[in-house]
Amino acid sequence: MNRIEKRLEELKQENKKAFITYTTAGLPDLQTTAKLIFAQEEAGADILEIGVPFSDPVADGPVIQNASYQAIQKGTTLTKIFDMVEGVRKEKCEVPIVFMMYYNTVYHYGLDAFAARCIECGVDGLIIPDLPFEEQGELKAVLAKNEASPILIQLVSPVSKQRVPMLLENARGFVYCVSQMGVTGKGANFHKDIREYLAAVKQTSAIPVMVGFGIRTAKDIEPFEDIVDGAIVGSNLLRILEESNYSVDAVKEYVSGFKKELNENK
Amino acid sequence: MSNTYYGEFGGQFVSESLMNTLAELEKAFDEAIKDPKFIADYNYYLKEYVGRETPLYFAERLSEKYGTKIYLKREDLNHTGAHKINNVIGQILLAKRMGKTKVIAETGAGQHGVATATGAALFNMECTVYMGAEDIERQRLNVFRMEMLGAKVCPVTTGSSTLKDATNEAIRTWAERAEDTFYIIGSAVGPHPYPKMVKEFQKIISVEAKKQILEKEGRLPDVVTACVGGGSNSIGMFADFIDEPSVRLVGVEAGGLGVETGKHASAMALGKVGVLHGMKTYLLQDDNGNIELAHSISAGLDYPGVGPEHAYLRDTGRAEYVSVTDTEAMEALLELCKLEGIIPAIESAHALAYTFKMAKNMKKDDIIVVCLSGRGDKDVHTVEKYLNGEETNK
Repeated sequence: MNRIEKRLEELKQENKKAFITYTTAGLPDLQTTAKLIFAQEEAGADILEIGVPFSDPVADGPVIQNASYQAIQKGTTLTKIFDMVEGVRKEKCEVPIVFMMYYNTVYHYGLDAFAARCIECGVDGLIIPDLPFEEQGELKAVLAKNEASPILIQLVSPVSKQRVPMLLENARGFVYCVSQMGVTGKGANFHKDIREYLAAVKQTSAIPVMVGFGIRTAKDIEPFEDIVDGAIVGSNLLRILEESNYSVDAVKEYVSGFKKELNENK
Repeated sequence: MSNTYYGEFGGQFVSESLMNTLAELEKAFDEAIKDPKFIADYNYYLKEYVGRETPLYFAERLSEKYGTKIYLKREDLNHTGAHKINNVIGQILLAKRMGKTKVIAETGAGQHGVATATGAALFNMECTVYMGAEDIERQRLNVFRMEMLGAKVCPVTTGSSTLKDATNEAIRTWAERAEDTFYIIGSAVGPHPYPKMVKEFQKIISVEAKKQILEKEGRLPDVVTACVGGGSNSIGMFADFIDEPSVRLVGVEAGGLGVETGKHASAMALGKVGVLHGMKTYLLQDDNGNIELAHSISAGLDYPGVGPEHAYLRDTGRAEYVSVTDTEAMEALLELCKLEGIIPAIESAHALAYTFKMAKNMKKDDIIVVCLSGRGDKDVHTVEKYLNGEETNK
């Protein structure tokens, strides 16, 4: 069973919400990224998004843009990130790992080779923000060849509306609900109809519904925490990492604190 | 879905939050171009405001020197000095029709930014132009022009601080504010329906040129040529000739210091297929799939991709794409000044430079039509630096 689906099923049994984090790979280097993966797994993060840096990250705000730029400058590549993930899997890391990346990186690597290497290394899911539903056919056909392939996570936006049933029809893993219009990391200025929007998605969805973009603390999701199954934090974690000089302890504290609060609120 | 593509090129590689926006835009565009009132408005402003039609000028002295008939389609005589305004008028009329009150645009050299700021002033729209900090430095005069016209110029300091980054920032802003904001893309790039729209609003160039050459020569030209950055003037120049198989179509990319040096902007010369700015097309990219910086003395051609229809025309063999170097373009620019008394934009000089090369293999009565996409007033400072042997781009 795919690690994402397995983990989310466990949470459902325990009646708990998921905490999903994002970190850009290669900051300040890939050894540190590997350490952070273990630290977050230990601290209770349920799913880890690993950002594969791209030169032109159009879905991202300044924090992740800058992180991507720095990571590329340090020589971080998809090939090296695969090796790093393969390495942590060998050391018994079992936390679900999702690549957050742009389609050109996948396309350039070659779809078949990419899917095969994901399976080899134990990559469980893919989030590709510039690959909307209508453009997913080519990649889905490749992923469908092997049942161990990573899950292509579907993103939903506050203006998806009539598109939601189409987006969710064959969706697996979880649904990634974008909390606001625009890019990542802009704070908790959620879309004005956030509750109605999330409730509509939740009603349509057969799989867990997560919300991301602009979330910093567990408190941020209070206005709709009764509706969703978990929260995703990216830019804020990168900020904490940078401010603490990539301290493993600071990250552990943040992750365990968020996870605890997320499941205390209810 | 397939109608968003030109062969394997094009598509809509944007975030989910823009998919409904693109669908609305496509619907509005398809309705508008079938509406006689909309077309009448577009033609009215092109005639009365832009100053169309532009002449198809027989360049007598050039023709004599190169031994073949050379005609120049004078897009440089448009209001604001280039073909860019044709498309801006079309898109801004569409924006108004859709009830948008704000427009945003990206710009490299500043020509599309100036055209957009002009259109926004004319139609009383709030206008923000995204421009790389590096380009703002290189094109101060155009920044000032945009500001005089009432636009806000927003410096972009991410990535390489040039056109591709300005485009990224415009896309990000658009994703956030699409409800009241229309994104006016200046080149034949971006997600569907942008390449189609830009072609529609630039095809006036070839519609006029075809009529004019038939009046003057009683026959179609042998060759039609234009420079290609993203490809807006060239797609406009090719549009009405694509279905005329006897007409050879030649697009000229910027070869920079030479394609073999790696410092160039010829996306189709060595480019690999990839995805950027909402489209699948030929792109300059490195071994890891990151987008590489384009390099050209001409800021308007300094783009690492190319419009998807050009990629398709190349692969089907309907059009051929070549490149000329910075030096060849500058020599052609100076020659046009001296022989015809016309100062062309450096962009347009690329098409001229290749015209001179082609002319050697052509007969006296053969006809070449060159799109003179813009005038060179904006470039005199670069020309001065070039003549003084100073560095003209990073």
